[in-house]
Order: sequence, then C-alpha cells, then structure tokens
Amino acid sequence: MTPAHTITARSALAMGLASLVGLLAFAWPLFVDSGTWLADSPDGPWFFALLVPLLLAVVVAEMSEGGIDAKTVALLGVLTAVAAALRPLSGGVTGFQPMFVVLIIGGRVFGPGFGFLLGATSMLASALITGGVGPWLPFQMIAAAWVGLGAGLLPRCRGRREVALLAGYGALSALAFGVLMNLWFWPFIATDGSIAFVAGDPIGQNLGRLLAFTVATSWGFDIPRALGNALLIAALGAPALRTLRRAHRVAAFAAAPTFTPPAIPATPATL
Amino acid sequence: MIRFENVTLTYPDAREPALRGVSLHIPEGELALVVGRTGSGKSSLLRAVNGLAPTFTGGTLQGRVTVDGRDTRTHPPRELADVVGVVLQDPRNGFVTEVVEDEIAYGMESLGLSTEVMRRRVEEALDLLGLNDVRQRPLRTLSGGQQQRAAIASVLAQHPRVLVLDEPTSALDPAAAEEVLAALQRLVHDLGLTVLMAEHRLERVVQFADRIVHVHGDGQVTDGLPVQVMADAPVAPPVVELGRWARWEPLPLTVREARRFAGPLRATLSALPPRPERSVIPPPAAPATVAEVKGARVQYGSHVALSGVDLRLHAGEIVAVMGRNGAGKSTLLRSLVGLTEPSAGQVRVGGQNPVELNGRDLTSTVGMVPQDPGDLLWNESVRQECIESVDADEARRLFEELAPGVDPAMHPRDLSEGQRLALALAVVLSAGAPLLLLDEPTRGLDYPTKHRLVGLLRRRAAAGGTIVVATHDVELAADVATRTVVIAEGDIVTDGPTRDVVTASPQFAPQVAKVLAPVQMLTVADVLAALPEAL
Amino acid sequence: MMRAPRATRALHPVAWWLWALALAAAASRTLNPLLLSAIIAVAALVVAARRSQAPWAASFRAFLVLGVAVLGVRLVFEALFGAPIPGTTLFTLPEVTLPEWMAGARLGGAVTVEALLAALYSGLQLVAILACVGAANALANPTRLLKSVPGALYEAGVAVVVALTLVPSALAHLQLIREARRLRGQPSRGITSVARTATAVLAGALERSLTLAAAMDSRGFGRLRPLPARERRITATLTLAGLISLLIGGFALLDASTAPLAAVALLTIGAALALIGLHRSNRRAVRSVYRPDPWRWPETVTVASGVIAAAVYTAAAVALPAEMLPVTNPLAWPALPLAPLLATLIAAAPAWVAPPVSSTSGKSTADPVASLAPNDHLPAKAVAA
Repeated sequence: MTPAHTITARSALAMGLASLVGLLAFAWPLFVDSGTWLADSPDGPWFFALLVPLLLAVVVAEMSEGGIDAKTVALLGVLTAVAAALRPLSGGVTGFQPMFVVLIIGGRVFGPGFGFLLGATSMLASALITGGVGPWLPFQMIAAAWVGLGAGLLPRCRGRREVALLAGYGALSALAFGVLMNLWFWPFIATDGSIAFVAGDPIGQNLGRLLAFTVATSWGFDIPRALGNALLIAALGAPALRTLRRAHRVAAFAAAPTFTPPAIPATPATL
Repeated sequence: MIRFENVTLTYPDAREPALRGVSLHIPEGELALVVGRTGSGKSSLLRAVNGLAPTFTGGTLQGRVTVDGRDTRTHPPRELADVVGVVLQDPRNGFVTEVVEDEIAYGMESLGLSTEVMRRRVEEALDLLGLNDVRQRPLRTLSGGQQQRAAIASVLAQHPRVLVLDEPTSALDPAAAEEVLAALQRLVHDLGLTVLMAEHRLERVVQFADRIVHVHGDGQVTDGLPVQVMADAPVAPPVVELGRWARWEPLPLTVREARRFAGPLRATLSALPPRPERSVIPPPAAPATVAEVKGARVQYGSHVALSGVDLRLHAGEIVAVMGRNGAGKSTLLRSLVGLTEPSAGQVRVGGQNPVELNGRDLTSTVGMVPQDPGDLLWNESVRQECIESVDADEARRLFEELAPGVDPAMHPRDLSEGQRLALALAVVLSAGAPLLLLDEPTRGLDYPTKHRLVGLLRRRAAAGGTIVVATHDVELAADVATRTVVIAEGDIVTDGPTRDVVTASPQFAPQVAKVLAPVQMLTVADVLAALPEAL
Repeated sequence: MMRAPRATRALHPVAWWLWALALAAAASRTLNPLLLSAIIAVAALVVAARRSQAPWAASFRAFLVLGVAVLGVRLVFEALFGAPIPGTTLFTLPEVTLPEWMAGARLGGAVTVEALLAALYSGLQLVAILACVGAANALANPTRLLKSVPGALYEAGVAVVVALTLVPSALAHLQLIREARRLRGQPSRGITSVARTATAVLAGALERSLTLAAAMDSRGFGRLRPLPARERRITATLTLAGLISLLIGGFALLDASTAPLAAVALLTIGAALALIGLHRSNRRAVRSVYRPDPWRWPETVTVASGVIAAAVYTAAAVALPAEMLPVTNPLAWPALPLAPLLATLIAAAPAWVAPPVSSTSGKSTADPVASLAPNDHLPAKAVAA
C-alpha cells in the first residue's frame, strides 16, 4: 500500500547521515581513542545530548519539507496519543511494552517514514505528559524512531509469517533499544573500573565490558521485555494489522480525486 | 452562494454514485436544511460543498461545485477555509487544541492572519456564541452544547460566508440544542451567513429553515420551500404528520401554526370518553419487581451524580429516564448493570447485586447498550459479532428484523449508525435478560429506524421484559414509554405515567401534546387510535 | 503606601528552559559538593517560589528521587566494580574475576573512602544536573512550549499537540471498551482480552483521526507558501553539507591523530549549516501565532542569571581547578570558592524576578491524564485505569 508519508531521496539522505551521527552519539565509548577530548573530559555525553536534538530537528524538517498532509498529521497525532497512553502500562518486571507494539505495527502498515516520525513523537509526547523531559529524551526519541523506521523496512510477507516476523522484530528491537540506552547511560554511571569503557581499548574488550555493565544493570528487565513484546505482537498482531490496514484503506492516501466536467453543458441551476 | 451544477459523485469501489446529477442553488443568507434517511448521502452532499468529497475521500466528481464563485476543482478544502466553515458530526473529534480560545484561533493561525486581527475575531466569536465565560476552559470539560458552540465559533472566526453543519444537535439535550439553534439563527439574521445543515431531529429545526433540501437516497436531490417538501417527505416531524393526517392547509410546521388549526380537533377529542392509561399489557394485580434501587448514592470526586435515589422497576414496563446532560441518567443505568457501585444504598436486579455478577450470570440478568453502541462491537464482521453473542441464531434473527438486508460480511464500523445500534441491540438482546437498559438509543436515527426500534421494544415489554431508556428524545418517550422518570441533579424529581409527566411539563411535552393541550394525547398514533372513524 | 501586587502570568517556557540548562551547564563545570549542593538548593528554591498547581509541577521531586537513585547505583557500582584507589579502606568485599568474554572484569576487593567519595562527588554532579532539568520540567508549561516550535517542525509539533489533547480520551475509551466487554459477558483478563481491548481502542482512535484530518483540512491546515525550486535546493544543500560536516567532525573527535581544533571546527561549521538550513525551511509555513507568550524583562533577567552562573563556573574551572575539582586523595574538606557561590546565588533571581503564578493557574489547563472531568459518561474510574 502507499505509505502514509513518502520519503524523498533528499530526506532519505538526511535521515541516513543523521542516523550515522546519531549512532556515533550512542556508540562513541566503544570507538574512542585514548588521549582525545572525548576520552579525557566528562563532558562528552553532554555534548552529544545537545547534538542529537539538532539531528532530530534537521531530519524532521527535511521530512516535512514538502508539507505533511492533514491525514498523516492526524494519524500521527492519534497513534502518538495511543502510544503515549499505553506507556504507563509498560515496564515493571513483566516487561510488556505496548508502546513499542504500536510503533512497530504503525511503522509496518504506514511505512518507514511514518514509523520514524511516530517513534520520535511518541517518546516526546509521553515525556511531556509525565514531565520527564531530560537529557535522555533525544536519545530515546532517535532510538524509538529507528525502531519504527526498521519496522517499515522489514521484508514483505503476509499472514502468519508476517506476525512471526514482527514478533521476532519486536523482541530484537526491544533488546537493541535496551542496549542503546545502556550505551548512552554507560559513561554516566560507570566512570572508571572494571565495567567502565576504556578509551583506546580494542572494541572487543569494550563490548565485553558493556555486556558486563548490561548484565549488572538491565538484563533482568531487557530480556523479559523482549519476550513480552514478542508475545504481545503474537497475540495482538493479526487483528491490529487488519485494523490499521483497514484505516489505511479508508484514509485513501493513494486515492487521487478526479474531477470531470459536467456531462451536459452547465446550465444555470434551477430552483 | 452555493451552486451545484449537474454533480455526480462516485466513491472509489462504489457501485452506485452517492449523488447523481444534482443541481442546486442556495442563495446568500438562507438557512437550508438537508433531510433524508440515514445513509442517503446527506454527508456526501455536505462534504462536497468544500471539496472534502472527493479531494479527501477519493473518487470522482462529475460536474461543478462552486462556493462564492470558487470552484472545488481548483480549490482544495484548505484553500476554501476562509469561505466555507465546516462542523462535522461530533465536534469533539475535530478539536485540535486543548483550550477554547486556542481552538478558535487555530484556523486563523493556519491562514496566517495578524495577531491583532486574531485577537479581535476571537473576542467576536466568543461573544457571538456566548462562550466568554469558558474561554480558558479545556474543551473536553465543556458540556455538549458548549462544545458544539465552540466548534461553530472556531470555524466562524475565519469569517466564512457559508457554514456547513452535520447534525449539530443530535447529541444534545433539548436545552442545549436550543442554545445552538438560537446561536445559528442569530448568525443567519445578523451576519447574513448562508447555512447548510443536516439534521434528523426535524421537530427541532424545521421552523428555522428557509429551504429544505431532500436527499432521496438514490442519488437524487430535490429542494424547495419547507411547506412544499414537508407535504410528502418520508421523514417528517410529528406536527407535520398530524397536519398531513388532518389535511390542514397550508401545512403547519410549528406547534404555533398547528394550534391555529387544531381547535375543532381538540373539541372532538375532549368530547370522547376518558381513555384508560396507556400500557402495553394490562397491569397485573401485583406486578413483579424486576429491579430495585434503594437510597443509591454515587459520587465522582466532588460531583454528586446520584444522591439517594429510590426506584422500583416492574415486569412489562418501559421506563423513560429524562433530564439534562449530566443529571445522572447514565449513572443510574450504570449502577443498574453494575458498572458503577453506589457508595451508599443498594441496587438489586433479580434479587442480586449486579456488581458481583460476571460473564453469563450478568448477561442473563441485565443487558445494556451504551451511548456509543459501537463500543460493544469489536469483531471484524457482522457475522463474527453474532457468533460471539450468547445465542448466535437469536442474534442473527434479531439483527435481520431490525436492519433487514445487511451483508453479514460487513465490518461493523462500516454500518450506518442505525444499523450499528441494531447490531448492538441484537447482540445484547440475544442473551435474553429480563431487564434491558438503553442509553440514548436514538442518536442519529432516522424516523423509520426509530419506528422499528419502538416496535421491538413494545414486543419485548409485552412478553414481560422491562426496558429502561435514558433519552433526550421527548418524541421517543411519548411514543414508547409507559412510565417516565425525570432526574435532576442526581435526584428523581418526577416519577409517573408518561402521559401525566410529559403533558405537565412544557420541556418534556411532545409536539402533538403541545398542539392538543389540554387534551392529553402524545402522538399521532394516539389520535388515530382515539378516532379510528375519522379516516 | 502599598504597592499594587504584581500581575500574575507564566514566564515564557523557553526562558525557564534556558535558565535551567545554563544552570545545568554550570553544574557540569564542577565536582565541588558544596557548590553542587548550592545549585540544587537554588533550583529547589525557584521551583518552590514559582511553580504552578499544574500536575507537571510535581516532576521536580521525581527528578530529585531519580538523581538520588542514580547516585546510589553509582556508589554501589564503585564498591563492586571500581578501580582500586589506595587509601583508607572502609571494608573489603570478596574478589571475583568474571570470565574472559566479559572482558575479565574484576569484582569486589577493598573499598576505600577515597574511591567512594570520588563517586559521591561525580554522582552529586548528576543529581544537580537532574535537579536543574527537573526544575525546567516543573516550571515550563509543555503545551506553551510546543507553541515555540519553529515553523520547519510545524506538522510534527501539531501531531504532538493533538496527541497531548487526545491522551485523556484514549484512556477514557480504554475504560469504555473494558466496560463493554463486561456488558457482553466477556472476560476482562488474559492476553486475548488485552489484545481485543487494545485493538478496539486502536480502531476507535483511527476512526477519529479521519474526522480530525477532515476538520483540520477544512480549517486551512497545511497551506504552504510554495518556495522556488532554487531556494529549496539551496536549503537542502546547506542541510546535507551540515550533516556531512557533523559526521566527519564526530569521527574526528574519536580519533587521537586528528587535531582537536579541526574536529571542533568541523562540528561548529556543521551545526551552523544545519541551523541555517532549519531556519530557511521555516519560510515555507504560512502561519501566525495567536497570543504568543510575551518576552519581557523578567524573561531576559531570568536567562541572564543562569548564563552568568554558567560563565562564572566555566571561568572558575580554568582559574581555580583545585577548588572546582577537589581531589579526594588525600582526603580533605573541599574549599568553597566565593565567586561561583555568588554566581549561584544570582541564579536564584527568578524566584523573585519571575512574575508570580496565580494560585489556580494550571488547574484549568491541567495535565490531560489527571483532569478527566467527572461527567456522566466519563466516570472517575477511567482516571485510575
């Protein structure tokens, strides 16, 4: 089906470049050389916390450069509301994250560009509602945007295989989201010692430390959460996909209106 | 001002065009009322005015629609925003912002008007629609009438020449509807606005109309003066039906006009011997109690929804519960089905506390159709909804009876409002509970569907069922209820036979009662029953 | 003679955020626990003086709690995984070495006061920064903040505004669906029920979005000023060049062999180009703002007080490194440098300078979740749901 938001070559390029910089903003501890400013100063994470909002702004501005039509904006707003309303239900040890299910299914049905926007707006809206706007927010926004984008880029298939694919993606993306947020959190919480990153070490060493850090902090949440997401998508996927596809059809993103002149030469209307 | 030139509108995937060869002209400053049955194409006609159909919906428009000289072919809806203001059904779904004032300014922000102009127009709009007291309030905390007026104000601020409204009063209680209609009346008279409005509750609006546009349902649209169109339209308010039956000329459209003719009829009727109390079945000596509410008190925060209500419901009764929005009607129904537990007092249905019932125990004791019947429907086809009911065959049979000829493969959300209510009713009724609760069942229903609903309810009651209907629709109450309960501020104010209650109060009196007062007759059917030889 | 009481109004949300970010920047320049405590106290003071009754005003406390939790984790991690710092041993944990695939990390061992204190100082810095951000959350009205979204991001901003408005009705609808399931005698627990309920809420929301879109379009949403293709190309080139420059600059930051100055230059140029691109895309929107929040002298003074603090701290970090970054080995009581302390006190100015808020402000435009009106068909139960 026609995506709700078409990604132009120009915005795809912007999205790709910004995503690379964004990835750098998460993963720099793994790659940084010793003796650089990033390695020596504690200000690195703050620098990136300023950079990522700029990246997001640039990408969203590029995506809306040609204008986003009312249908897409309304759909985006409504799905964002549902995702944000579901956020408080998330978390805990049970680890269901219905918000991610909305992102994934939304991205799948309405396309990668829409998924990207939905991820970013959902995180922002839920942070605004709960008064949780902090330095982590831009990173959560870009990571959730990637989750939505990825859902839109998954290969084509239908039926049971599609639900299985999405459930698998749900589990994987939950893990990836957890690892990314750990990466962001890492330099703050572990500044030195055996589970802190060591600038200039081989990447394998640093990955090992990250793994140790992850096991120590969030493994207990991340794995049940990944399983919970997969389960939820398995249970909810088929009807939710049908519901969204129906809405997609009714919204008629593709339908171009046609106007044809009157069959009979127009006469002044009679009363 | 609005001109349709030989317009044929076809939606994608539709076999038949929704509008066929429509030519129509609404001159400036007129209030035109669009009438027709549910699903006849009224909404399509309204949406074609500013090009929402087909620009938004897809499809083909043959012919030409112009508003104030602008062609919808070349002007998408957003470019017509300063000429046509559109208020769609249920304004709550169209609000973009949170607060009244911001909502009114929103459209002007899109037009890029200057701050000074916006300030001035917001004040104007607030005054015109009497919203100044609530300008800082969040929209969702407003009453239905205020919300509707806020929606009108928000399109009015763009200074359109034309206002298009889809069922502006269908969800409102009589007082709130009055507010909205009075505001519209003022706009037409003071500003010379052209208004095109669809409405099912003709008894409320027909007297304001300068012109009636009749959408026939087969794509044909005709228009004319109200008296001409009402003479043979299949949808007509009770006063018109009475006038047609009595062959009054010219046909009266208002109670006032009808009373001028009604003198002889009143005399004939009052000469008749007093009739027995209306009842579906002859009241048994000691009617069985189906449900009982004793001293029930319900409070939401600081708002008292019910303050110590006593009510006893008997087998075979049809009880209308009336009162303003927020008076406690819904809360009473909710406590009867156990969705709300009173903080004091008790509720017993069939001797049991409904709060403690679940699953089949609940559905076989009491059934309720909520305000939005769509909430009860979550499956993906009519067939599936029936299968998931307590008794699938019964549900199918009831649905066929209420809404004949619907494809069982249809998605419940594609049904018309009346069909959706029919499906929800069928699903609930199939459980066979002796007590049935309906919350505002006639919202958006046309007269024929209403008649079928009334027939069904009468048969249920005749079979010993008890029905409670919370409604604003005085005509429905007059038509079907044996007993009427009026609630205000969480208290029962009046409780008695419908005929006594509604004729005693001008607010709840149906049109026929107003025409014939002091003769106590509520509906045209009552008159017919009393005077069988007159025809 | 009595002066008339000052008129109440809300300070511009952007001013609050700039003040808070500047104060956070100041906190990032020091590890001195006394200065950090002073910053936390100033943030608390301003919040106490100028917050409204709105629900988001409670978030300052939540941020403090979060900060203390982070501090706790930090201390525990230091004890468990910290690199050994010689000094006064507080206690000794059994030592464990993790397997090679976890980088052979060492756990436990001697825990010294010096190590814990160092962790406490840097942890306190996080608490202070979180307190500043929490203050901004508590003081700035999120919906007003969205009004300041630049035109280039207009549509996304509208989507968020719509979402904030709709969350309460999404919650109310969730409650209605649950009730409807009860009315049909369906179970309200179990994964099928959750799935059914969620799908129904989704379906309702989607249906609503179409009406909303039609209403928005008929009210003029999305009118654009068509920009000439040349202008659009220039904007795109600027933006993309900016991103490329940021990317190269970012890699240069990682690389020890690149001159730091080159990296900074690339990043600065990249950010500037991206900002110019953003600014240029603002031009496409035909839009004006109704009653924009005014920017008057209290806004300027508020921002200035934060910026002064940030500037003094930055200068002090260079001039007085010993006081600003106290060492914990050997153990010593940290000094309290006067200039930064005064600057911190200046940053408390908004507690008086910012206009007072009315005691009821925020109540009417309260947080969408908490203010569901208890009317007939939206029972208070929906709030708890």
